[in-house]
Amino acid sequence: MTHAIAIDRLHYRVGTAFEIRDLDLHVPAGSIYGFLGPNGSGKTTTIRLILGLLRPLSGRITVLGDAMPEQHARVLSRVGYVPEQPHLDVTLTVGELIDFQRAFYTRWDQHRAAELLAAFELDRDRLFGRLSKGQKAKLMILLALAQCGDLLVLDEPTDGLDPVVRRDILRALMAYVSERGATIFISSHLVHELERVCDWVAVMDNGRLITASPMEKFKHGIKRLVVTGAPRDIVDPPFRILAREAANGAGESWVVGDWDPAMQSYIERLGAAVREVIDLDLEDGFVELLRSFRGVSR
Amino acid sequence: MTGKFRAVLYTQWKWSRLVIVLGTIAALAIPVISIQGAARADRGALEAQELLRAVQSWGTLYPLLATALGLLVAVAAWAADHRGRHIHALTLPLPRWQYVLLRFGAGMLLLSFPIIAVLLGATLAALSATLPPGLHAYPIALAVRFAFAVVVAFAVFFAVSSGTARTAGIILGVIAAVILAQVIVSMTGIDFDLFGQLQVLLLAGPGPLAVFTGRWMLVDV
Repeated sequence: MTHAIAIDRLHYRVGTAFEIRDLDLHVPAGSIYGFLGPNGSGKTTTIRLILGLLRPLSGRITVLGDAMPEQHARVLSRVGYVPEQPHLDVTLTVGELIDFQRAFYTRWDQHRAAELLAAFELDRDRLFGRLSKGQKAKLMILLALAQCGDLLVLDEPTDGLDPVVRRDILRALMAYVSERGATIFISSHLVHELERVCDWVAVMDNGRLITASPMEKFKHGIKRLVVTGAPRDIVDPPFRILAREAANGAGESWVVGDWDPAMQSYIERLGAAVREVIDLDLEDGFVELLRSFRGVSR
Repeated sequence: MTGKFRAVLYTQWKWSRLVIVLGTIAALAIPVISIQGAARADRGALEAQELLRAVQSWGTLYPLLATALGLLVAVAAWAADHRGRHIHALTLPLPRWQYVLLRFGAGMLLLSFPIIAVLLGATLAALSATLPPGLHAYPIALAVRFAFAVVVAFAVFFAVSSGTARTAGIILGVIAAVILAQVIVSMTGIDFDLFGQLQVLLLAGPGPLAVFTGRWMLVDV
């Protein structure tokens, strides 16, 4: 099994307002896969399709080698899931929720659960409804990790949390991955957070996958170029022009994707000159990519 | 599977323990109170009639108790899942029918306490009372009937409350359609009582809710 998650030509629609079309997504086994997208882009819907909570209109979803949603019980026994909103019963205590979860997972690691309980400083006797937002998030991570799944699906797990809690959670996730070699599929719109931990990244907007590539390739492939003397029309460039606008002073500012330094000669052959190549961080690249995608689809 | 059932049972006990405890106390008390002081061997025929009337009037509480227990335990069984929009339940690694069965089984097991309480209370009442000649106590028949009523009530409310808002909408829609149909039938002057027909269909034997109707007698001729 080379892919922990494989989605092929997925089509899903909710009413007439939202649609996921022709989604192809392949998450390499053992990777930490960041799933980026603005609010309402379809990240949570895609995750629910992956987990078999929703049924696609067409297409194929395979998770850990088994078809979803047909094999959902088998698949879910090996998947830890942390949803966007706390979904556990508010009237049960931390200890009761741990005991409940434990009964359903044959691979449950009670030692790990106890360790995380101590590390996260959670009180077994406290009601889930009385926990702070950060404590709820920690408990849900604890439950997902103690299941000892081969795949963790995390839907904005650190959204709205303070930096200390975020760091605690990410540390626990990293420790789990390094120990078990599990795959993590993590959706977020906190770009900097994903930049730190992910080795793959996919960007989704308006139900469409815009790009999916290794993090390094994505980050290093998107550059801002300051170009002078460029002709108006550029035919079949070896890179993607995501944005092109007049720069302050002379020349133009281009934002390009799939950039390689060797491509500078292509621009020079057009009679133009590259004055500067500026690295963009993931967030800038993400924003430019979205802007370009929305410009094209408009 | 035992571990899963135990886990589900524990949560349902926590959610509905007050209902179960109060229901069990009531189920134990009603048969005892219903013939308390009224049953004595030296009573005449007229006084025996009085005893039967008392038993009958207390008997109306059994179907009410069965319905209330079925409703409250069924609602409690699904309330937490509804609050969490069923995400937790749907992401547990077991077929969905098994999860429903676990919840139903746990609810039924909890409801067995008031059923057993009716049996115990009715047996205790029958043993402690000295009935006038011609009258007999039927504690087992009463408890079996109460058990059926509880099962029917729990099953109906369990099915209804397991559904989504859409399901509730469909049920309300059906009721509205019946009312509308009756109004239209009345307006056209056709002599057809739809409500009456439905009542007969549901409540008269062998209708699905027939167990709730009729006399619930611990003591009878």
